[in-house]
Amino acid sequence: MFKIAVIFLFSISLFAKSCIDCHQKDANRCKHSIHYTLKKAINITREIWGVKDSNVTYQTIPLSKKSLKSVSDLVDDFLRRKCLKCHVSIKSSGERGMKRGKNCLACHTKHQIGGEFKKSKTPMKKCLSCHNKEFIGTDYKGLFPKDYDKSYRAPLTKDGFFPPQKYGIDFHHLSQDIHFKKGLTCASCHSFKDMIGEKKVQCIDCHKQIAKKNHPNYHKNISCVACHSSWGVYSYELSVFRDDIADYKKWKNLTLQEDGYLKNFLKRALKSKKKIAPKMPDWVLKKMKRGIWYSGYRYRRWEDLYLANSKDGKVVLIRPLFQYRISYRDKNGKMIVDDKSGIAGKKIEGWVPYYPHTIGKYAKSCEECHVNPLIMDKNRKTQGVLSLKKPENIIGAKSLTKEQIEKMSSKKYKLIRAKMFFNHY
Amino acid sequence: MDDILYLGFSVLKRYNILRYISYLSFFLLIFITILYYPKGGKGAIKKESVDQCVVCHKDMSSMDDAHQVEIFGCAVCHGGNRWATNKKDAHRFMVKNPARLEHASIFCSKCHKEIVKRVSKSLMNTQSGILNVLKYQWKESNSLNSTIGIKDIRKSKQSSLAEDHFRKMCAACHIDQDEKVFDKGMVKRGGGCSDCHRVSKGSGNKHAKFSTKIPTKNCLKCHNRSNRIGLSYIGVFESEGYGTPYKNGNFTHKMSDGRRFYYKLPADIHHTKAGLDCIDCHTEKGVMGDGRVHKHMEDAEDIKCKDCHKAKFKKIDTLGKKLLYLNGNITESNIIAYTRKFSTPLYNIQKDNNTTLFYRKIDGKKFNLKQMKDKPYHSLLIHKRLDCSACHSQWMPSCYGCHEVYIKKGKQFDWVSKRVTKGQWQEFRSFLRWEHPSLGIGYNGKIMPFAPGCQVVGTIFKDKMVEKFHSMAMAGWDPHTTQLKSRSCEDCHFNPASLGLGRGHLDIKNGKIVFEPIYDSNASGMPFSYPIDAFVSEEGKQFQSTSRKRARSFNKSELYKIVEAYKCIICHNSYDDKIYKDFNNSKKLFYSGKTKCLK
Repeated sequence: MFKIAVIFLFSISLFAKSCIDCHQKDANRCKHSIHYTLKKAINITREIWGVKDSNVTYQTIPLSKKSLKSVSDLVDDFLRRKCLKCHVSIKSSGERGMKRGKNCLACHTKHQIGGEFKKSKTPMKKCLSCHNKEFIGTDYKGLFPKDYDKSYRAPLTKDGFFPPQKYGIDFHHLSQDIHFKKGLTCASCHSFKDMIGEKKVQCIDCHKQIAKKNHPNYHKNISCVACHSSWGVYSYELSVFRDDIADYKKWKNLTLQEDGYLKNFLKRALKSKKKIAPKMPDWVLKKMKRGIWYSGYRYRRWEDLYLANSKDGKVVLIRPLFQYRISYRDKNGKMIVDDKSGIAGKKIEGWVPYYPHTIGKYAKSCEECHVNPLIMDKNRKTQGVLSLKKPENIIGAKSLTKEQIEKMSSKKYKLIRAKMFFNHY
Repeated sequence: MDDILYLGFSVLKRYNILRYISYLSFFLLIFITILYYPKGGKGAIKKESVDQCVVCHKDMSSMDDAHQVEIFGCAVCHGGNRWATNKKDAHRFMVKNPARLEHASIFCSKCHKEIVKRVSKSLMNTQSGILNVLKYQWKESNSLNSTIGIKDIRKSKQSSLAEDHFRKMCAACHIDQDEKVFDKGMVKRGGGCSDCHRVSKGSGNKHAKFSTKIPTKNCLKCHNRSNRIGLSYIGVFESEGYGTPYKNGNFTHKMSDGRRFYYKLPADIHHTKAGLDCIDCHTEKGVMGDGRVHKHMEDAEDIKCKDCHKAKFKKIDTLGKKLLYLNGNITESNIIAYTRKFSTPLYNIQKDNNTTLFYRKIDGKKFNLKQMKDKPYHSLLIHKRLDCSACHSQWMPSCYGCHEVYIKKGKQFDWVSKRVTKGQWQEFRSFLRWEHPSLGIGYNGKIMPFAPGCQVVGTIFKDKMVEKFHSMAMAGWDPHTTQLKSRSCEDCHFNPASLGLGRGHLDIKNGKIVFEPIYDSNASGMPFSYPIDAFVSEEGKQFQSTSRKRARSFNKSELYKIVEAYKCIICHNSYDDKIYKDFNNSKKLFYSGKTKCLK
């Protein structure tokens, strides 16, 4: 750790000179990569929050508006203060697991050890400092974020401490990715080219010879991950609430909101006898601003599963990542936006193709898709609050067609499946 | 009126000679009395007639029509000195709430002796079901048949860990709890008879209202935790505590206790379709006990689904007539249904020609009661071991991992001794689910839904030591989330969660059930290696205990039998399919190649 810190400090002083001096080309490529522009996350969020024709990047994202009247006014504020803190150019907030350098050093660290230059392969730790919680990254290690409430800080450790927190919250440990178990890290598959979006890595790049027997023709259009992933992080309905007045007491059981700054702030505010003004940093401006963004899910699952057709004609998994309900209370205590879940009849919702890195030993059984009520049941009445779950507004994919769903429960399927069963017995 | 009566008598006495006149006036008075004697209802007789209490407590209202203050006065129930004229003397030996069971055995027992006796022996009073299962699960006792109750531990000064937990976490819901001990903002429980029978609070000269038409909300005062039957019935599921969505700058979906949150799931069909209250099914014998000491809830329980949906009719008996008369809302009938277990008259289920009528007890609303159909899905022998709830219960509140933390130095309110004592408990949990309840063999030997009950992982802070213990158990019960449509075939026959294997990936490879679980207990810090949601392994090894003699998970042969049947279900997914009429024979035919299958 000390070593890294020394290198880190050393590099900061040299950063402007040394990295770019030699790696001018790479730096330029980097600046246009999705890691630097964060184009996708920013624009998807802006669009579903009601900003039309959104095409901005991290560099061009507008300042938060002064008068916040509607959901679309709030989006830039939300992005700046909740999401963009993960940008490589912003200093980490320093929570456990999320410590990293800035710019190049966000990913690359072991470049120079004792005067000798070494090829720097990014360690997994650095990737996970941003790619954690519900995002792909920590799922590779089998981590599933626990619920926020205080009563989920369990089981206590052998010595009677609360379970260790990392990335702002503690985790359920689920089955790990088989590649992780065998010792592969992120960088083992994801190359530099992949990282800056020039060439996407695919399973078949390594697994060229897949057994024909187990991969029949009728499934040739299905993405590998759809069958081979073991679980995913499915979070339903994220309620976000910007509060401009000091009203902290009710959050006393919900201080852990996967946000290190908020955790410390609430801790301080709940303890102090003085009234502390609600302030949260604008990570891009690096300035404190009025208002706190609170958040809470409806519920989370790891065993759910939804399918859709991706743009390149493959059947992929999808998940809800941008299902919002938005509230805003101004400093006079007036609710400007109160639990808004839709704009102009359209839900503030975005489902996205999902490639969970939770590859298991076995593929899923046929039944997990073919008789799954989440995919097959039109009424979705059997599972309770399922009205929430019906995928709407899928970004980058289209929902399954009627024919596809009919095909999934066709006679042909049944015959093949039955034969498979009887042959195995 | 009395004055005139008195006058009449005195006249008769004094002027003995004027017989005729006095006789005349006497008859006249009787005539007037009959004429003016009201036919039931309030204010029939002047209030001064019974007790002196009403001198101060003017215009006191009655608790219900059966116990009118004008007839009974106050002292019959409340004690005290009914003739005294000052407060001090009048209130000597008076009790404020005679419905507390200790008082009820003196006051209520004057008329309801038999009922008070029964209630005193019932599980709601002894709480021996909770206490014994807790002691059994925490390995403090070997027997599930013990009948130690709250009474037995009340006097003891030393209490074991389980007893201490019971004192601090469970005993608040004792039916005879003192209502005064509840803080402001807490749901007040206890009070003996009034715990259930009081339907509205009293204040000033308004006496609290009592009724035998007990609303569901009274039952929900207690039946909202543990297996949460009361909540499930009305479609409320205790949530993860997010309180989302936020409305008006505040949390929503807060429960009435102000601490927990919920979301709405489909309520029981009896609630949604007919608006039935608990008492519409649960009989007085089932609730207040039948006079015997029972060990567990299901022994004391009277009603079964069948009692209504495959009703047995008989001529109405005296108790039935009495109850019917007391209810007052329900049309009289000669033929009513009876429960099979204790033969309690179900006076609200009546036979009318060929239809079965059901009356709601609280308001007397009439319904046509559907009788169980004699269709293959109910009559097939292959499913004869299934409890109704196995198929018809769509969801079940399942709270995985109950992490109990005990701090010896801390202090907490003891609901039994009613004072703050040493030792503090705190509860944590792992995760919640409602979907696909797992199945197993229930307390009655039938297949029914199971959920954690309870999966305790305990941490004990003793002086400077930290001790750990765990007791993992699953429990089967009817979750009261009945729906018309049953679970689908594959939801039981090929869903690892339903089979009790836990959440994960199930398949068949080379004639063997293979299962890859998702949850990693060891890495999550649990002191055991099987997944926390696994009741049984694919090899049929039961991981978690149960708290009933007959209750268990599926064994290996049962697991294989269930999954093997799925092979046929893939194509033959209807009960009407002829292969299920004699399934064993069908399988024989198939394996000998005499069927058209797979061709």
